[in-house]
Amino acid sequence: MNLDVKEGEYVVILGPTGAGKTTLLKTIAGLSRQDSGHIYFDQQPVDTLMPFQRGVAYLPQNYSLFAHMTVWENVAFGPTVQDWSPRRRDQIVREMLNLVHLSDRRNSYPRELSGGMQQRVALARALATQARMLLLDEPLRALDARLRLELRQELRTLAKYLGITTLHVTHDQEEAISVADRIVIIRRGKVVQTGSPKEVYEDPSTPFVSNFIGEANFLQGILSRVENGFSVIVLSDGRRVMGRPTSVPVNSKVVLGVKTDFCNVLAGNVEGQNSFTGTVVQSLFTGKRTTLEIQTGLGLLKAKVPSDQSFSEGSEATLRFQPENGIVYPVPSEGLQVALEVE
Amino acid sequence: MPRIKLEGVSKNFGKITALEQVNFEMQDGEYVTILGPSGCGKTTLIKIVAGIWTPTEGRVLVDNKDLTNTPIEERDLGYVFQNIILFPHMNVKDNAGYSPRVKGLSEEQIEERSRNAMELVGVLEQQGYLPNELSGGAQQKASLARAIASKARLLLLDEPLSALDARVRVELRYALRRLVKDLGLTAIHVTHDQDEAMSVADRVVIMRKGRIVEVGEPAQLYNKPRTLFTANFLGQSNFLEGTVQMVEDGHATVELRSERFLKVPSSSLSIGDPVVLAIRPEHLTLSPEEERPNTLRSKIEESRFMGPYTRYTLRAETGDELLVDIPTSEARVADGSSVSVHFRLDFMLSYTRPSEGLTEALKLE
Repeated sequence: MNLDVKEGEYVVILGPTGAGKTTLLKTIAGLSRQDSGHIYFDQQPVDTLMPFQRGVAYLPQNYSLFAHMTVWENVAFGPTVQDWSPRRRDQIVREMLNLVHLSDRRNSYPRELSGGMQQRVALARALATQARMLLLDEPLRALDARLRLELRQELRTLAKYLGITTLHVTHDQEEAISVADRIVIIRRGKVVQTGSPKEVYEDPSTPFVSNFIGEANFLQGILSRVENGFSVIVLSDGRRVMGRPTSVPVNSKVVLGVKTDFCNVLAGNVEGQNSFTGTVVQSLFTGKRTTLEIQTGLGLLKAKVPSDQSFSEGSEATLRFQPENGIVYPVPSEGLQVALEVE
Repeated sequence: MPRIKLEGVSKNFGKITALEQVNFEMQDGEYVTILGPSGCGKTTLIKIVAGIWTPTEGRVLVDNKDLTNTPIEERDLGYVFQNIILFPHMNVKDNAGYSPRVKGLSEEQIEERSRNAMELVGVLEQQGYLPNELSGGAQQKASLARAIASKARLLLLDEPLSALDARVRVELRYALRRLVKDLGLTAIHVTHDQDEAMSVADRVVIMRKGRIVEVGEPAQLYNKPRTLFTANFLGQSNFLEGTVQMVEDGHATVELRSERFLKVPSSSLSIGDPVVLAIRPEHLTLSPEEERPNTLRSKIEESRFMGPYTRYTLRAETGDELLVDIPTSEARVADGSSVSVHFRLDFMLSYTRPSEGLTEALKLE
């Protein structure tokens, strides 16, 4: 694995369970030793340094606060162990508690705090050592979904305020998009794609990424030609669809991926380019947007549409997408289904 | 077949009240999700329906039969836990066939039932695997197969997707709802995840601090929440505090901070009422023009790409922070610029200002 992180950058490592995310963090923290390769901080190799010599703040997935210590004592732990002067120690603890909005709970014990507050204390404790790098392993996993929305913003704001280089591991795509400067998608121990949230969302390099960040529909066929700058693909039923240009040679088997977010739905049977008519089999409301599952001649296709467009289950509808949103990939050698597996 | 009714159900654990006077009724074949923050009592509620716990007060009726004191093994239900509990030494097929076997059915019937269940859930191909050879999602599917092979008409799902990766969860939502509907089961599904709760359910029950806050169909709860808590908890909302200045033709004019005014539809507000106005981020629109009705001039502090939409954080002239979500394809305004934020009347909601204060009324934990 090769990875380059800039100073002050907020990088999210995103991937399914078992992808190697935690191993990566532990190796950087020095808690696990790599079999081969090197790790550098500011061009200095750190391979032989012990964890405490590396100057990283590591917040593991199952962190635990010291139950018998107050919030203040928990946060002061690092500075105390490092033998800082009481003045310097108190100043940093005060600042950290301020940053995580817990100054008024300084004398509370962990059990008296909510889950979100405990998470903030753990973060303040990790940061109080004045590390040069922050490593966060699924920092929001134990919290309620709604609370995560609030805390993820706080995490980014805090890291940016401190200017600290941050690596944040998660399996949650929305979380990754909402906090990262750059997302590194890993799978089975390898980096699949690296880029800004917009890049990995709009220009996924593989079918896996296309379906992992958001959801995608896939259509398989043969690339017949390139016309007006678009790829023309002949599907199994003889129909043609258009997608973005591709470097794949003409006449090869290809798969076109299109995000469900980029699919529109029209009522009834509407003829036209890149249009697929079928029956709405399920409609799943999620507030802003509703996911429609449409059974078509080419299988089940999905579209995520604004919720003010409603389609009743059982009704006829046409799913349509713009050619510029259809990305053409070579058929993965391991087969499409295996290539898309998310766990 | 099963209609479920809770009558005045309360549950205390020592001095702690986990549930307080819960009344709730659901129909046969209904899929209900129970949604609320940690500690709201949702797990206690489902465990009381299951018979794992007995209520301190109140009754649990299934098809008008009082089952309050009937233990779990005598209730006809399938239960799926958050922490996947499969028999580790049994393969998927034997796990699925467990309940029919315990009920003393013939080998043929066991075979048929477990096979059907595995097929419905989509783990037939993995029938020979032991649980630890399966991914988390496949394990939870196997638990589902075991639950439905019991042929119970009532399915209780206790945070069934919480232990799984976000992407896998989305996949399983589709499967869960389809399964429940195809089999015509009655299902109660507890979750802390708003999207999950809304997407699978016929009705959502919102709980907080041991009580039911609100019950309704997903779109109804999302579009017309009756409480401030729901407006904030189910999706996000912007809130503005003010006082009613004028009432006419079904509309109220509300004075906000800095002597700014917004109109809201209202049939019940009177002059002088302290109110909180609410509107969702995706229902606000931005325009560069100065003078338009029902707008607040605001400055864009930050914009953030969020996939299908772009989220703007603005500071309104009232001093309030506003979140505005614009479809990414239409998001063109730059950070730092001044814009008019338009409040469309049909999307605005108003609430009486809560006596405990807005922050307390919205608190998530």
